[in-house]
Amino acid sequence: MGAVSPLDEEQLVRLIACGDRAAFDELYRRTSPWLAVRLRRRCGDDELVAEVMQETYLAVWRAAEAFAGASVGGSAVGWVWTIAARRLVDALRRRARDARVPPVALPPEQVVPAAEDEALRATVGDEMGEALRRLAPELRQVLQAMVLDGLTVRETAVLLGVPEGTVKTRARRARIALREALS
Amino acid sequence: MARTAGAAETAPTTYAWTIQAERLRVRAGRRMAVDGLHLAMGSGVHGLLGPNGAGKTTLVRALATVLRPVGGTLALLGQPVNGRVDLRKLRQVIGYLPQEFGFYPRFTVREFVEYIAWLKEMPAPEVPGAVQRAVERMGLADRADDRMKTLSGGMLRRAGIAQAIVNDPQILLLDEPTAGLDPEQRLQFRALLRELAADTCVLVSTHLVEDVVAACTDVMLMDAGRLVFRGAPADLEAAGSGPGDGDSPAERGYAAILRRHREQAEDAR
Amino acid sequence: MRDDRAGDRSGVHVPAELLDRYAVGAAGIAADALWAVEAHLESCAPCRDRLGEAVHRRSPATVVVLERVRVGLDAAVARSGRMPARRRRLPGQAVRWAAPALLPRLAMTILVVLVALGLDLADQMTEGRLPSLVLLLAPVAPLLGVTAAWSRGLDPAHELVTASPRAGLALVLRRTLAVLAVVIPVLAAAGLLAGASPARWLLPCLAFTIGALALGEVIGLHRAARGLALLWAAVVVAPSLVAAEPPVLLEPASLPGWAALTIAVAIALVVRRDAYTVLASGR
Repeated sequence: MGAVSPLDEEQLVRLIACGDRAAFDELYRRTSPWLAVRLRRRCGDDELVAEVMQETYLAVWRAAEAFAGASVGGSAVGWVWTIAARRLVDALRRRARDARVPPVALPPEQVVPAAEDEALRATVGDEMGEALRRLAPELRQVLQAMVLDGLTVRETAVLLGVPEGTVKTRARRARIALREALS
Repeated sequence: MARTAGAAETAPTTYAWTIQAERLRVRAGRRMAVDGLHLAMGSGVHGLLGPNGAGKTTLVRALATVLRPVGGTLALLGQPVNGRVDLRKLRQVIGYLPQEFGFYPRFTVREFVEYIAWLKEMPAPEVPGAVQRAVERMGLADRADDRMKTLSGGMLRRAGIAQAIVNDPQILLLDEPTAGLDPEQRLQFRALLRELAADTCVLVSTHLVEDVVAACTDVMLMDAGRLVFRGAPADLEAAGSGPGDGDSPAERGYAAILRRHREQAEDAR
Repeated sequence: MRDDRAGDRSGVHVPAELLDRYAVGAAGIAADALWAVEAHLESCAPCRDRLGEAVHRRSPATVVVLERVRVGLDAAVARSGRMPARRRRLPGQAVRWAAPALLPRLAMTILVVLVALGLDLADQMTEGRLPSLVLLLAPVAPLLGVTAAWSRGLDPAHELVTASPRAGLALVLRRTLAVLAVVIPVLAAAGLLAGASPARWLLPCLAFTIGALALGEVIGLHRAARGLALLWAAVVVAPSLVAAEPPVLLEPASLPGWAALTIAVAIALVVRRDAYTVLASGR
């Protein structure tokens, strides 16, 4: 296991804000694999993922000082995700506009529980975990987009390629299902 | 970053049209600039054409809630804006570019858009990211930290559009957005409009017929305070079949419809 | 798999097998585990590092993407060339409190006060018969600055400000406060020298300021301020100077009247506050 550099990501962003290219490279090195994996799980088009990642890090480079100034207890990695998610939505909008094709399909999901996943159940909670697993895939996708990824209803609609009304309906159904499972 | 999705956000939409007006009357000075206008707009890019003095700017101002109607009804996102209403929540999802776009010369583009973002009551942590995104979408990323007095007219207009979209609005009102843009910039602007058409209700008020035809999903023609035509750009062009003034079918259609409307008004008198 | 740095509260990190499957983009991860992994990775740097290693070991497709991004990014950053800009805090913060174009008006106001002070001191040194000019001007001194608080002519972005969610009484009062915060200390200092104690003019000052804002809701702030200033000049300042007597209205006995007036105009201000969310018609 490689040694973790003493600077955390927030400090790196502050250095980038001062024009420190080495800090930028370090932030990229540390966060790009995670970002790539996460984005690829939301968009099946690798070319689009590459485009989004490039725009994201460029935005971080250009506006680091503004981000650093607004660090109100947020995490730098969280901001990077927020930028990336919004850029992904924008890129999907552009694709839809240009080619009149629906946004790229997501990779297929199959719900097959595995033994090793036990270790992480603690963080989600048994009942919640159970409820999540039993949730229909399309409902879970909406929940993931809105809660985990932090997108709005309209952005979720673009990401998933469904109308806004559908997103709202699914979000409501997901919430009801979870509430039932937890009560 | 995880966030909670409130119940209000996912409540089903109860309204049919994003913008709906009936018998709308709005005063501008002493004139009744909008007089008995009916309107129903949903998502998409809507073009608003009309001669000077037709009341376009007054209508856009009424939709931006900076002018109160004196008659008729106006509802934005299902919420009526007559009478005493708290418009704060509504205005947070509206973006507006006035015809006379005033800016602060000594401010940088970023500072100006951040100020507007503050005025729009965007949550502070979101502002830098939203400003960067708006600036990049308008192609001003390289000039974001230059003072506005150093920008050309076209770039200033783009900065104006950037402030209008910084809060990712559901209603976008642009009054003469392409003034001063060169042809390449107009193409980029039309591309942006098409991008927004999917989930935003955009109203573009302009006197440039070609802009409307190229980028809008439907066209509205206004004269003397009322709508005299509503339809697809192709319908506008079809109305101008045959000889007439104008260099393009759309312009001929525009002139023909105006002429017909005025003749009818004359006959009615 | 232990690390002192922030993981989640339970100190549990992602098991290697699961991380590998996540890195590769495997479809078979249970929904709750997937959610937990993604939520965890957002806050755990060591697990992100391990994910990076897993990606390089096991997911050539992702590595290809990373390569492409690296190349494109290097080029783009080189093109962008400039250092990220230093942020100037002052303009952004200042404009939230003070209207633009306020500075010249404040400067003018201070100048007027100083001139009045000068005249008072000159008067004191000669005969000392005239009532204090500083005292006479104090109630309407802020009005020049207050006109900048909500003005189409003075604020280039006035229409944008009016259309914004934050438009309204609170914003106007903020800007007015900025004016008072400058003018009142200056008046107090001048008054100290000219013998016009704040107790006599502070309440009238507030009454006029709030009164101008309230009247501005009906006839426009510029006209209201100008009208009130002229009214005061005609009804109080001029007669007082001519008669060489201090004005009745600024005697301590009048203070309760001023207090009542202040409350009345404050109520009027609140009642019609919607005026500060729309464009004034007719212009």
